[in-house]
Amino acid sequence: MSRFHEHASEMSRRTFLEGAGRIGLGVAGAGSAVALARGTDLGFANGMRQEVVFPQKQPLLLQRTRPPLLETPLEVFDRGVFTPNDRFYVRWHLAQIPNVIDPVAFRLKIRGHVRRPLELSLDELRNGFERFQIAAVNQCSGNSRGFFDPRVPGAQWGNGAMGNAQWTGVRLRDVLERAGLRAGAVQVRFNGLDAGLIPQTPDFLKSLDTDHAADGEVMLAYAMNGAPLPVLNGYPLRLVVPGWFATYWVKMLNDIEVLRQRDDNFWMAKAYLIPDTPAANITPGQQGINMIPISRMVPRSFITNVHAGATLSVGRTTEIRGIAFGGDTGIAKVMFTADGGRRWQEARLGADHGKYSFRQWTASLRLAAPGAHTLMVKAINSAGVTQPERANWNGSGFMRNVIESVAVHAT
Amino acid sequence: MRPEHRRIRARCGLLLSVGLLLSVGLLLSAGLLLPAGPLMPGLIPAAGAAAPAPARTATVSIQLPVSNAVLPPGNGAELANAQCLICHSAEMVTLQPPLTLKEWTAEIAKMRNTYGAPLPAQQIELLASYLHGIDGR
Repeated sequence: MSRFHEHASEMSRRTFLEGAGRIGLGVAGAGSAVALARGTDLGFANGMRQEVVFPQKQPLLLQRTRPPLLETPLEVFDRGVFTPNDRFYVRWHLAQIPNVIDPVAFRLKIRGHVRRPLELSLDELRNGFERFQIAAVNQCSGNSRGFFDPRVPGAQWGNGAMGNAQWTGVRLRDVLERAGLRAGAVQVRFNGLDAGLIPQTPDFLKSLDTDHAADGEVMLAYAMNGAPLPVLNGYPLRLVVPGWFATYWVKMLNDIEVLRQRDDNFWMAKAYLIPDTPAANITPGQQGINMIPISRMVPRSFITNVHAGATLSVGRTTEIRGIAFGGDTGIAKVMFTADGGRRWQEARLGADHGKYSFRQWTASLRLAAPGAHTLMVKAINSAGVTQPERANWNGSGFMRNVIESVAVHAT
Repeated sequence: MRPEHRRIRARCGLLLSVGLLLSVGLLLSAGLLLPAGPLMPGLIPAAGAAAPAPARTATVSIQLPVSNAVLPPGNGAELANAQCLICHSAEMVTLQPPLTLKEWTAEIAKMRNTYGAPLPAQQIELLASYLHGIDGR
């Protein structure tokens, strides 16, 4: 019997014995190749997602095998404010992803409108510049797209196209200073090692204004939570743009080009555009809207230890907890309600890891009456921006940040 | 969801699972799946505690799983499999919400005009009608 058949029959036996349990295919010690039978319903139509294990990863929800789109299950966010590298979500646009990376041969080019073009090895980056570290949330522009109503095409994510990590590396400002921007530099464009499968597919390029690129926070990360980045999260080097959506956080970054005119490549000029309206909100079908590149994140918060449909005990105090983030600035307050929003209580905030990080919150809940209750949480950031009561809508499914609700039952 | 829809999706799911299992199995037998990198513990210590990452000098190599899933049968399935699966696996189609014929036609236009899908113009209609047939509203 082939190994596949052995595994297949092992799977059916275990499925039979354990129902929806996880099915390990990995031979002892391999630990890197597992297809799992467990599925998770993300909570919208056609929202069942299978758990899979990709290289250097623990189980994630499969959105697409090629190019990989893998979602972090919500339970991971309950375990702490830093998302483990092996549970961090994965999102690639183009299918040609190098699967062999030689960190010694790797070079980062800095070129274009600079005085001294550079080619830096990873060692030169590590040893030639001051080390910089920052905690920051990386969130896909289309996180939670599956909840848009009416639905919109695109990757049908639940809420797990996000993660928080300590990023270690060097400031982009220091690298740009070494190269020396020439007068008239307008934007800085970033390219990674990935590419499309057919020549006509536009290479994935993203740009930031020079002022932003050199703000001392935008950085080149060679480590994530104290370890090298997983290949699927951009090993050996990725751009980190604190407070901005992940579309700018170019993975496997190997080329930085300083531009003397604004970047008009497809991924800046035509893709990742949002309506230039408050909260990027429009009415379905609305025409004549000015579109602008997506940029800063907005506040969000989630309940992580109680799921929809949970049963709580009447009269008993339960600690409700979750995570919140302010978007492009820190968290000022997190508010919690157990009666659908009539009375809000201020949640207690956990350790502050910096304004771009997830922050844990907790609130004590004692339900006095049996029956249905709606738990809700909302974040207010230090710029005074509050999560909205009604969901925004746009045709690309970007920037969702409506107040989250969890319906529970008390007995 | 229409019953035929559910059947199609169940079939897609099964094909996908078999595809993934098969690929993983093949990769394992071929010894192509290399050990993962350092695993993170469930909880990362507080800010500032992240130790400087040691420089890695060994070449890092991974083998990505392959999906052998194909799109559900129907008039135009062959065309869809030949065109859509060049750049992405089948889940990108099967996990979409039901879309109108107009929305599917717009998706096809994006794939042709932006990403360079080599779909002849005279086959747009057949492909749109197929996609709308398997996942339409």
